[in-house]
Amino acid sequence: MHFNVGWLALSFCTGPAGSEAGATPPARETILVRADHVIVRPGLVLEGAQVLVRGGRIVAVGTGLEAPEGARVVQGAWVCAGLIDPWSALGLASDALAETNATPATRSVDGFDPYNMDHLRREALRAGVTSARVQIGLGARIGGLGTVVRLVPGLPREETIISDASNLWMTAGLTQTGPAQFVESGEGFTMVEGGRVQDPFERADAADRIVSALQAGKNYLIAKNEHRHELEDWAKKMAEKDAELDKEFKKSKKDREKAQKDAEEKDKKFEEKKYKEDKKPQPPRFDEDNEVLSNAIDGRLPLLVGAERSAEIRAVLAGTAPHGRLRLVLAGGSESVNHARELVERRIPVLVCPTPLGRNRPDEFEAHDLSLAGRLSREGVQVLLGSGGRDPAATRDLPLLVGLAIAHGLSRDDALEAVTIGAARALDVADRLGTVEAGKDADLIVLDGPPLESTSHVLFTISSGRVVVTPEG
Amino acid sequence: MLSILLALAAAPALQNDGPLAIRAKAVWTGGGKVLENAVVVVDNGRIQAVGVDVAIPDGAELVEHDGVLTAGLIALHGATGAVGETRDGTRPALPEGRVGLAVDLRHLDFVALREAGITCILVTPDAAGITGGTTAVVKTAGGTVLRDPAHLSLVFSNEGLSGNTPPTSTSGALALLQNLFAEPRGIVAEARAGKLPCLFEVREREDVRRAIAFAKDKKLNGALHGAALAGEVAGDIKAAGLSVIVPALAIGTPKRTLDAVIRLQKEEIPLGFGLDTPWNHAEALRLSAVMCVRAGLDRQAAWEALTAGAARIAGIEARVGRIERGLDADLVMWSGDPLDVGSVARRVLIGGRSVAAQEEVR
Repeated sequence: MHFNVGWLALSFCTGPAGSEAGATPPARETILVRADHVIVRPGLVLEGAQVLVRGGRIVAVGTGLEAPEGARVVQGAWVCAGLIDPWSALGLASDALAETNATPATRSVDGFDPYNMDHLRREALRAGVTSARVQIGLGARIGGLGTVVRLVPGLPREETIISDASNLWMTAGLTQTGPAQFVESGEGFTMVEGGRVQDPFERADAADRIVSALQAGKNYLIAKNEHRHELEDWAKKMAEKDAELDKEFKKSKKDREKAQKDAEEKDKKFEEKKYKEDKKPQPPRFDEDNEVLSNAIDGRLPLLVGAERSAEIRAVLAGTAPHGRLRLVLAGGSESVNHARELVERRIPVLVCPTPLGRNRPDEFEAHDLSLAGRLSREGVQVLLGSGGRDPAATRDLPLLVGLAIAHGLSRDDALEAVTIGAARALDVADRLGTVEAGKDADLIVLDGPPLESTSHVLFTISSGRVVVTPEG
Repeated sequence: MLSILLALAAAPALQNDGPLAIRAKAVWTGGGKVLENAVVVVDNGRIQAVGVDVAIPDGAELVEHDGVLTAGLIALHGATGAVGETRDGTRPALPEGRVGLAVDLRHLDFVALREAGITCILVTPDAAGITGGTTAVVKTAGGTVLRDPAHLSLVFSNEGLSGNTPPTSTSGALALLQNLFAEPRGIVAEARAGKLPCLFEVREREDVRRAIAFAKDKKLNGALHGAALAGEVAGDIKAAGLSVIVPALAIGTPKRTLDAVIRLQKEEIPLGFGLDTPWNHAEALRLSAVMCVRAGLDRQAAWEALTAGAARIAGIEARVGRIERGLDADLVMWSGDPLDVGSVARRVLIGGRSVAAQEEVR
């Protein structure tokens, strides 16, 4: 298998790369946001409400809030949480994105370049997308740990990185194996995807790798748990012995002195009484990959698996079924509607990229069918929507992709959930992002119309309590 | 609020035989004019009346539409129904090639187009060699060929070059084009005489420059297609009096490209959007315009480029592109603002007949 990295060239031909690198972002402020409609979370809208932001957090949401002295007042028609692109490539160095030698412990955060593609980040922020999950290792069967980042250029690192281990990524699907063609167009290149080839043996191999990786993680987890229990038992036993020794200390001392005296009298060599030394249990050998895999098995780390065709999805579902605590998210899922019932029963969300591709492409699937999100949602499957994780420029157009999903049957509430709190939950950052509620990070957008309507404009984007987009720029 | 869309095979409520009246919350008649709560009367495949206080004829079926009613969209570059017919790499020039004769008017690929609200498409020959022949405008249902030939296709981009069949170089291709027009015959003579517009296939700005020089030299008119950054030489294009067909724009299109489209509009160059079906999804047409609007293109100009403006480039403005008495009843009932990609074509009529419908189910 080889992975063609050529299409990544796209990202570096899209404009003046890093032209404003090093620019400092606006300062954190105390901000009162006033709006006709505040979408606290999809389905809960407060009319004529305010949001108070201080110290990078949302401190109050409600009606009748007054601006504290010195606070900046920002006004618009609609307010909702900043959009999250759960499947983005924005900010990843191209070699990291295409990495084929990733292992479970490979961290996307290490391939994240906060000084690159500033112009694309600004466009995304202007479109209302404030954070994204980026993932390296697309060329590998097991791509490593994803990371959730803020898109504002120049933020302090602790504000940029929201989660440095949001998920583990694997793929059971096809990877680009055919040669990609490059067509020069205007200022840059357009990549025509290469053919995707996978025979049944490769497919079996891909599924087998996932199953065996998870099993290795499980074995490691079992070994670790056994060690923990053994250690507890050992510590308990040692404590008992200590107590016993303490209790019988005087008697023991007397006995020892007596024995010593006896030995002297009989002119014999005194032999110290020996205790059986309890051996401290040894932990299993530390393995960083197995650490990550065991976290996934234990449900502490979401597992995203890319799979498109029914055969692959079936293999993934069967291979993960024995691991009850595993939190699986299916990515791609072109033919996932066939497995809707199991997806609902096991509460497995599907991360969809509704790309408007046509027919006759050298792509195996019918166009990442735009109706996929709507059909899954109607079957009761939770849907997430992302820009696909390949083209860093696509994150800007996340609202349009979501619009296409809406036109093709996804309800507006489900669509908003898919790119706010739904994504935040799936990536374990819901304590900080995804809704407009007190206590959460101040990442929100102010619009002149309802969010996700392509005719609405983002007036203000607030990220981490900083006003990073205004109507002026 | 759960709104579910189901695609239906046919629209049961619309009788296609007698007269029909559609009362819509908003009617976009064209040229930026919007009539609120207006009625459009359709009979014999034509629009009979448009207005707020139009009398509904006796016996006419009345359809109430709680959305926007517009003319059908026009896609300006595609190969729907003629995919296999557009490749003839064996000959450097095939000016007599007529896609209009080759296109399968009942190809299933047309279904996706009309479901997306596209009622006409300019079918183009492959951009191989120096010319693959002439374009044709067809409706996406009903088997109507509106105009054939519509343009003579001339290739100025290096995508027309092949490694083993002449022309194999840009200068070779230009020489062949000169030869073709040296003693023009047949369809070439018509183009030379200004009776048939040309479709100039370009990609780079340099191709645009060459095409403009050629058009000026031979006194040709028509439209440029394929150069994403054509707008960066908008002044030259305007001076040459040519129109521009903007190629379908993909998700993530660079801002520079979008800005270039806006420059074309600012120079008041007639605009349309290509689609390159079936390689692009039918929704890519409206999406292209919406992307430009989000980048700053005038809303009205974007909508014209999808309808009346495109009709003029295709030479069919006397038949379609606006909602006006006497024009073909090619109409789309949108669920909301058609420049929101989240809106959907609830119903599509071509020649007064319902050709696509999606019902909203609650």
